[in-house]
Amino acid sequence: MSPNTWVIEMPTQKTRLHPYPRRISPYRTPSVNRNAFSHEARPPPPPPPLPKTLEHPVFEDIRTIMSVLKASGLMPIYEQLSSYKVGPPTKTNEFYSFFVRGVVHALTIFNVYSLFTPSSAQLFYSYRETDNVNQWIELLLCILTYTLTVFVCARNTKNVLRVMNEILQLDEEVRRRFGANLSQNFSFSVKYLVGITACQTYIIVLKIYAVEGVITPTSYVLLAFYAVQNGLTATYIVFASALLRIVYIRFHFINQLLNGYTYVQQQRRKGGNRRTTAAPSLMEHFPEDSLFIYRMHNKLLRIYKGINDCCNLILVSFLGYSFYTVTTNCYNLFVQITAKGMVSSNILQWCFAWLCMHVSLLALLSRSCGLTTREANATSQILARVYAKSKEYQNIIDKFLTKSIKQEVQFTAYGFFAIDNSTLFKIFSAVTTYLVILIQFKQLEDSKVEDHVQEQPQT
Amino acid sequence: MPQVQSESSSESAVQPLLQQFQLLFYISKIAGILPQDLEKFRTKNVLEKSRNGMVYMLAMLIVYVLLYNVLIYSFGEEDRTLKASQSTLTFVIGLFLTYIGLIMMGTDQLTALRNQGRIGELYERIRQVDERLYKEKCVVDNSHIGGRIRFMLIMTFLFELSILLATYIKLVDYSQWMSVLWIVSAIPTFINTLDKIWFAVSLYALKERFEAINQTLEELVATHEKFKRWLCGDQETSSRALDSSQPPEYDSNLEYLYKELGGLDMGSLKGSGRNKVAPVSHSMNSFGESIEASDKATHQAPPISVNMAHESELSNASKVEEKLNNLCQVHDEICEIGKAMNELWSYPILSLMAYGFLIFTAQLYFLYCATQFQSIPSLFRSAKNPFITVIALSYTSGKCVYLIYLSWKTSLASKRTGISLHKCGVVADDNLLFEIVNHLSLKLLNHSVDFSACGFFTLDMETLYGVSGGITSYLIILIQFNLAAQQAKEAIQTFNSLNDTASLVGAATEMDNVSSTLYDLVTTTMLTPTG
Repeated sequence: MSPNTWVIEMPTQKTRLHPYPRRISPYRTPSVNRNAFSHEARPPPPPPPLPKTLEHPVFEDIRTIMSVLKASGLMPIYEQLSSYKVGPPTKTNEFYSFFVRGVVHALTIFNVYSLFTPSSAQLFYSYRETDNVNQWIELLLCILTYTLTVFVCARNTKNVLRVMNEILQLDEEVRRRFGANLSQNFSFSVKYLVGITACQTYIIVLKIYAVEGVITPTSYVLLAFYAVQNGLTATYIVFASALLRIVYIRFHFINQLLNGYTYVQQQRRKGGNRRTTAAPSLMEHFPEDSLFIYRMHNKLLRIYKGINDCCNLILVSFLGYSFYTVTTNCYNLFVQITAKGMVSSNILQWCFAWLCMHVSLLALLSRSCGLTTREANATSQILARVYAKSKEYQNIIDKFLTKSIKQEVQFTAYGFFAIDNSTLFKIFSAVTTYLVILIQFKQLEDSKVEDHVQEQPQT
Repeated sequence: MPQVQSESSSESAVQPLLQQFQLLFYISKIAGILPQDLEKFRTKNVLEKSRNGMVYMLAMLIVYVLLYNVLIYSFGEEDRTLKASQSTLTFVIGLFLTYIGLIMMGTDQLTALRNQGRIGELYERIRQVDERLYKEKCVVDNSHIGGRIRFMLIMTFLFELSILLATYIKLVDYSQWMSVLWIVSAIPTFINTLDKIWFAVSLYALKERFEAINQTLEELVATHEKFKRWLCGDQETSSRALDSSQPPEYDSNLEYLYKELGGLDMGSLKGSGRNKVAPVSHSMNSFGESIEASDKATHQAPPISVNMAHESELSNASKVEEKLNNLCQVHDEICEIGKAMNELWSYPILSLMAYGFLIFTAQLYFLYCATQFQSIPSLFRSAKNPFITVIALSYTSGKCVYLIYLSWKTSLASKRTGISLHKCGVVADDNLLFEIVNHLSLKLLNHSVDFSACGFFTLDMETLYGVSGGITSYLIILIQFNLAAQQAKEAIQTFNSLNDTASLVGAATEMDNVSSTLYDLVTTTMLTPTG
């Protein structure tokens, strides 16, 4: 989770002269099988056994979350052509995804139908009229978000594959050039997956306990599907964050590479070299490296944009849904806490579960977006720190800097707003404002009720 | 990293910034804001980690928290009766408002504890920057920073004391012994202000460094203008004779254009002496060698006055390139220091902004409540007096606004460097120099120093505007609802009392006509706003 703990050092001159791999990674030792982001202290991994299948499955880091999404038809079940290429899914698999999506849509229609019929009324037993409406809207929003997710995913199958292929291509290039595997521990995705499942199960159990009387099968289906929808939408968000994290690591890699050429590093190394050996010319690899970096940066930007295009509609609807859920749950929580006498622990837990899930998802999403955007923008800032003597090198630098003047990298929600840490802040300030207004209205409502209560005995 | 030999020579010349912080350091050390070692600071002027300081600081923090809780408890007696009459929202907000000061103080102290090693590094970096600036004949004067700190400290004491004393004398019942505890209520804000003075003064120092760079560049321009005027004056006497051989005046202005259009260098065509310097600097492929050589050159050159009219640095492109490069690097370093500083203080700033927003809104709202003779939480008793409220508000807002203003000014000053640099390019009117300026200004464009609170919002005037808008709208919402609640309450009360009288009267005179119409009137007036 914290990539800043890596040990990163520029290679020494001796390793530079080594013929293969042609160039050395900024991480010290060249080793083809090495995980670039593991710590130096770890012993080298044993030579991998050679199974019949490909030794290096793509996207191994986020395998778990991918398999969930594949099973639910949100991701295409791609074929792995080689270590660095994935192909379109086979006919059977394609049919499977298609089938799953069909089932999902059928269930959605069934659910919407049952929502509008009185059979589901037992699920909305709640204690106040407005709360029922709230839950109703929440359910509808959830259904809408998930349906949108499925539609967008189905439409973007090819784009997703293209983005994945681009990432893999880039990896291949990095590996050929630096012998470094850009992979990282994505355990956070698995943790989130477990968390989401636990939250949803808990919520469903709470709901079932809260309902009075015998629950009809229709309600069971409704609830189960509701949980699945929520879970899968959340999983997709985690997946998007994981993809962003992948892009972030690549950006970070080229930034580290470039960082070796900045004046601070140069001076430091010059100072070190003077004492030991004669100073070699430090910038000799700069032209080829910079070309490589520019190319990679451009590709990464394209990938970044590709990811954004794939999921921005989903993000908009998810953010809207999340905002609504957080607001209503905060409100319910407040009402529960301040209500005199009738505190129901069931509803409290329910609210807490929802809040935990949505807040953590929002935080994850905005953090990943913010990190990646910052790293992408940092490239030109680091390049500005490279001071080259010769005109030729200066021109190389200038070209890139000029190109990136107005090229603002942003991860947007369908162009409505950019997603980063400030989005989180805006969402929470909006939630606060609405909460204050809602609570004030509730108090007015309460005082009205009191009036009527006082009025009753006298009239 | 500056070289060792140059460091020793210039050390005497550059006075470390921390020397000015002595008074502030002692006060904050006593108050338990900084855990750094006192002895080291006194002897060597460095901030270093210290275990004893940490223990002392934690002890102080615990003492403060305990005292504050005792204060809340002993002054909360009235609040307990208040809770029954008050709406829950007001009570919850009141509770939150009571503790936000404590939260803020805790954030400050814990952050200082976390950062204890890194703050010293920061000032060391500033000292190195000063040295490098000194090498570029750009001396930063630190002496008035001490005065600034003293002024801020005096202001803090004045504000704190006036608020404390005025509230104590006017609004606290000082016949009881426990009322002395009221002094504790000033501790969180006092500690917070001391911590913020550190940040503000350091930020101010950074701003001064940016301005010094700008000043140096402007001076270069001014010198060159003088130089040009001197050249013109010199030429005017001889120009009559050389009129035919000399190319027209505007030719040199068009050199740049010529090159852009035709790929030709006017300088090389004419073979003017000015541009011949360029290839020399180009031939130095090895980055290290050339820097060292020129470093020595600039260093050995005594810092003679730049104002001599017949000598302008801008006329020598290769020499000035070195200087501009160095200035640019120093600029970048200052930007980096600014970023690091912002990161160190990001949580305290966030909590300060939250505190400022909440307290400002709350104080105004309670002021309104007090004018309507409603009861307010006991810790906000200063809101009962408009005069004290004004002082308290200007104190809180002064802190927030000054920080925002300073951050904004600093980032403006850093952006101004580009403009100053361009002036150099324009005034020198030299091909080579223009290229250098272009190259460096692209670099400067990418040196960004934006101050933000944990990335949630940037500290600039826009945020200030947003916050003031937020305060206004919250106040309006709160007051509106307060009005509505009051109306409802009054209606109930009049309704009840009228009912009582009506029933009394009705019992006596079998429902008088007058009272029944009054009754109707009241019921209609009461039901219309609510129903």
